Amino acid sequence: MTEIITVRQTFVLFPLGKKRFAFSAEHVSEFARPDEPQTFPHTTPLLTGVVVRRNQIVPVADVAPLLVGSDAPVRKFYLVVNRKLNGKVSRTAIPVTGECELTEAEQLPVTGKLPAYVSGLLSLKNEIVEVLDIEKLMSGEVRA
Amino acid sequence: MRISQAQPRSKAATRAGETVILFSVGGVTFAIAANAVDEIRELTGLLEFRPGKLHHRLEKVKATLERHGRRYFAVDAAMHFRMPHAQPARLMVLRQGRVAVIVDGIDRMQEIHSIHALPERFVGEERNWYRGLTVIKGKVVPVVHPETFLNKAETTLLNAALRDVEAPRRMAVTA
Repeated sequence: MTEIITVRQTFVLFPLGKKRFAFSAEHVSEFARPDEPQTFPHTTPLLTGVVVRRNQIVPVADVAPLLVGSDAPVRKFYLVVNRKLNGKVSRTAIPVTGECELTEAEQLPVTGKLPAYVSGLLSLKNEIVEVLDIEKLMSGEVRA
Repeated sequence: MRISQAQPRSKAATRAGETVILFSVGGVTFAIAANAVDEIRELTGLLEFRPGKLHHRLEKVKATLERHGRRYFAVDAAMHFRMPHAQPARLMVLRQGRVAVIVDGIDRMQEIHSIHALPERFVGEERNWYRGLTVIKGKVVPVVHPETFLNKAETTLLNAALRDVEAPRRMAVTA
C-alpha cells in the first residue's frame, strides 16, 4: 500500500489587479503601506527605486507589468520579500494592488506552459493561484 | 563662481565620516567625495569636442577644457547616467585624471556618516557608477565612483581622437 503524504505550506496571497499570486510565507517579512519610493539612475530591469524600511535601503521591484500587463491598477501596498542572494539576505519590496491574505495549502506542480518564474500552483476554492519564484521573476526567465 | 581646494583632502574620510559634495543632474541629487573634486566652476571656457566616430560610450564627452596648461575632457553627467533631461550649469573638475563633469548644479558640502552597499538586486551599470548609497535627511543619495566617469582606456582613446582633430588645425596654422 502506498501512503500519499500531502505537505501543506503557508503562502501569502497578493492581488495584482484582478488576479492573485502567491509567495511562500517563509520568504515574506513585511506587508506595508508604502512610503514614496525614491529613484536614482540605474539600468536594472523591473526596479523602480528604493524605500527605506527599518534603517535598510530596500529596492522596489514592480513586477505587475510582467505579470498582468501595463494596465495594472495603482499599487497600494508593499510586500517585502527576503531571499538569499550571493550568500546575503536580500530584501525586495514588491508593490501590490490590495490586501494580502495568509493561507495554508498544498503546492501542486506546474502543469502546462507557464513561465519559469511560476514554481507551483495552489488550487483554492474558486481559483488557481500561481506561486512565484522571486529570483526567476527578477532574472526575467520565461519558459518557452 | 569658482570654488577651489588648494590642498588634497586625503583625510576627509575618517571613522567619524566623510565629506561629500552634493550635486544635481536631471533633478536627482548625487554625492561625490569632496577630496575627489579639485574645482567647481561655470561652463565658460569649454571648447566643443567633435571627435568623429568613437565608441558610443564616449558620446558623453561633449567638450574639452584648457586649464593650467592641461586639457581636460568634460563628461556630460546626464548622458553618463543615461538620464533624458538635464540643465547643465556647472563643471566639476576632478582631481584624478583629466576629467571634468558637467552637472546641473552644486547643492552643498555635507558630512556623511555611513555608506550603504548598493543592494545586490541592482545588477546593471549602476554597480560601476556608485560606491553605495547614503541617506541624508531621509533622502537616499547615490555616492558616485569618480573614476567611472572616464577610465584610463577611454581617456587614451579620447587623447588619440583629440590629436586627430587638432592635427589639421595645426597644419592649417603652419601653412
